[in-house]
Amino acid sequence: MSKPVAEPPDSGESRWPIRPLHLTLIGLLYLVFSLLWLLGGDRMLILWAGGATPPLLVEMLKDLLVVSAGGILLYLLLRVYGNVVRLRINQVQDLRLARIEEQARRTRDALENRVRERTAELLAINQTLEQQVAARTQVEIALSDSEERFRQLAEHIREVFWVYGIAEERLLYVSPAYEEIWGRPVQGFHERPLDWIEAVHADDRQRVHAAHVARQQLGSLDEEYRIVRPDGAIRWIRDRGFPVRDEAGYIYRIAGLAEDITAHRLAEDQLRRQQVELAQMARLRLAVELASNLAHELNQPLAAIVAYTQAGLALLRQDQADPRALTGALDAVVHQGLRAGEIIRHLRELVQKHPDARAALDLNTSLRAVVHYAQLELRQAHVVLNLELAGNLPPVLGDDIQIQLAALYLARNAIEAMQDAEEPRRLTIRTALQNSGMALVTLADTGHGFSADTADRLFQPFFSTKPGGMGLGLSVSRSIIESQGGELWATPNPDGGVSFHFILPIYGRRHE
Amino acid sequence: MNESPTVFLVDDDPAVRDAVGLLLRAGGLTVEGFANAAEFLATDAVRRPGCLVLDVRMPEMSGLDLQKKLRNDGCPMPIIFMTGHGDVPMAIRAMKAGALDFIEKPFSGERLLTRVYEALAIDARDRCRQAQREAAATRLSRLSPREREVLDRVADGQYNKTIAAELDISISTVEIHRRRAMEKLEATSIADLIRTLALANDQAAR
Repeated sequence: MSKPVAEPPDSGESRWPIRPLHLTLIGLLYLVFSLLWLLGGDRMLILWAGGATPPLLVEMLKDLLVVSAGGILLYLLLRVYGNVVRLRINQVQDLRLARIEEQARRTRDALENRVRERTAELLAINQTLEQQVAARTQVEIALSDSEERFRQLAEHIREVFWVYGIAEERLLYVSPAYEEIWGRPVQGFHERPLDWIEAVHADDRQRVHAAHVARQQLGSLDEEYRIVRPDGAIRWIRDRGFPVRDEAGYIYRIAGLAEDITAHRLAEDQLRRQQVELAQMARLRLAVELASNLAHELNQPLAAIVAYTQAGLALLRQDQADPRALTGALDAVVHQGLRAGEIIRHLRELVQKHPDARAALDLNTSLRAVVHYAQLELRQAHVVLNLELAGNLPPVLGDDIQIQLAALYLARNAIEAMQDAEEPRRLTIRTALQNSGMALVTLADTGHGFSADTADRLFQPFFSTKPGGMGLGLSVSRSIIESQGGELWATPNPDGGVSFHFILPIYGRRHE
Repeated sequence: MNESPTVFLVDDDPAVRDAVGLLLRAGGLTVEGFANAAEFLATDAVRRPGCLVLDVRMPEMSGLDLQKKLRNDGCPMPIIFMTGHGDVPMAIRAMKAGALDFIEKPFSGERLLTRVYEALAIDARDRCRQAQREAAATRLSRLSPREREVLDRVADGQYNKTIAAELDISISTVEIHRRRAMEKLEATSIADLIRTLALANDQAAR
């Protein structure tokens, strides 16, 4: 940091010619010359000759004094000069020193400034660092807090919380509720990552697998499926997933909740069953009421007929047979018989003369509604449904409710026909457009089919192969379809089971 | 009083009314037909001897409603119900309210005739009892207050002496009252007297 201070280029010695050596030489020269002057000439010779006389000696002493005095003078002069020179040198040196000092001071100042600046910088950096550290600590605390909260939540909710890593291609986390719902250990995941899909009910597995493949792209998922627990119990699961994105917006994880909805499903089933039962009861009540009315209506003329006849018989037995009275009674009997017939005819008209509610309707939609109604029966009878609905089907002309009722009869008939059949039990509902301007609906089952002799009687009222069956379903279905301008027939399937077909007119094509 | 009994037939169906009427007449009965309850109530039929053959289901006032009204009015006429299509609760209701039978149409003429004869017999017996009760009450009303006081005590089995002491009259006076009262009631014995009193009490309780 500190630069070495440069020596000034000129020194006092080089500027001043007289140096101590010079002074010594001057002194020696003076000494030689003064000795020469002192001892020079004839005086030396006299001395040498031994002629040292007192006056000569005195003179020589005097000269010696002069020389000494001159020496002293010279010495003093030189001394003064030396002092002056030293003074000068000192002055110069002082000056130079001052200059050096000044420079040194300036350098020091600069240095100090830089140090100060540097320190400030460092302080600032330090402060920033401290702030960062503080912030970081806070984040860490918050993080550990939220982690704790998350852990608490994940481990105590009844739903299974899961996190799937897209890059890792496996489940990264599964909450402990998994053990409760699936009945399988959570550790199983680490050893066998596909553990959970093995638990999915065989009938749902393919669908669920497809959904889980799709979720990789979509990042989301919403599926309901069944799982089979190790104890054989079946549970209904609703599994939902949501995408988790990184800062760049890429989905890198999927977080989800799998919920046990078995109770909910059971309640739904219960509700639907109750609805079906209620509907059946309502139908039954209606039928009972109708039958009661009919009985009352018919019993009036029957009572009259019996009474007339018995009165006639009584008169004949009493031998009071007035032919006129008997004729009147018999006439009345005929009348009442006709009246009874009229009542029945009227009833038939009442049944047939349904207000015409025919309109353009989408057959596929109606059939989907039918499938919805039959859902419970399908599930309970373990029947797999195939819907093969034609996409280009134009609307047909018909009464929606009537057609749904006929289709529902046929679907139930198919389900019942498969009750004792081996699995897989399959009901296929198909729609197609025919060239004749009719739409064709086919319900094919894999049931026990029918024999040649029952084929003729299949649609007769009160014919049933089912124990306890009224044998009205098929005949009613046929009358409904025929009242809608269509036809209903049955064919055996090549690989067992029966197909029921009905056709209905396309709307606007052959409007009757 | 000596009127022959009539079968009152109420049914809104004219054919049934006609046929059943013919059947009953062939059985030697007098029949009057009505198309509804109001028509029947509009006549004095209620007070005449006979029985009611009633259809359950009729417009406005049903057979069961008519039965209830007659019972509330204190008319004891026996009722046989006919119905085109009846249910058990309806039959129970009718029988509990005192109906003689509940017959479903169509029915055998024999059953109806049997029931109608039965009903007429019940009505006749009821009417006979009613007549006796009324006669007893009439005879009882002829007594003077004193005679009634004496008679009540005689019926209680008190001796003449006791009665005389209680009413503060002489024994011979008691005997006179007693004889007169027996004459007025046309009673020949104490048993006769007590029966008349009971009938009259029945009548008063109605």
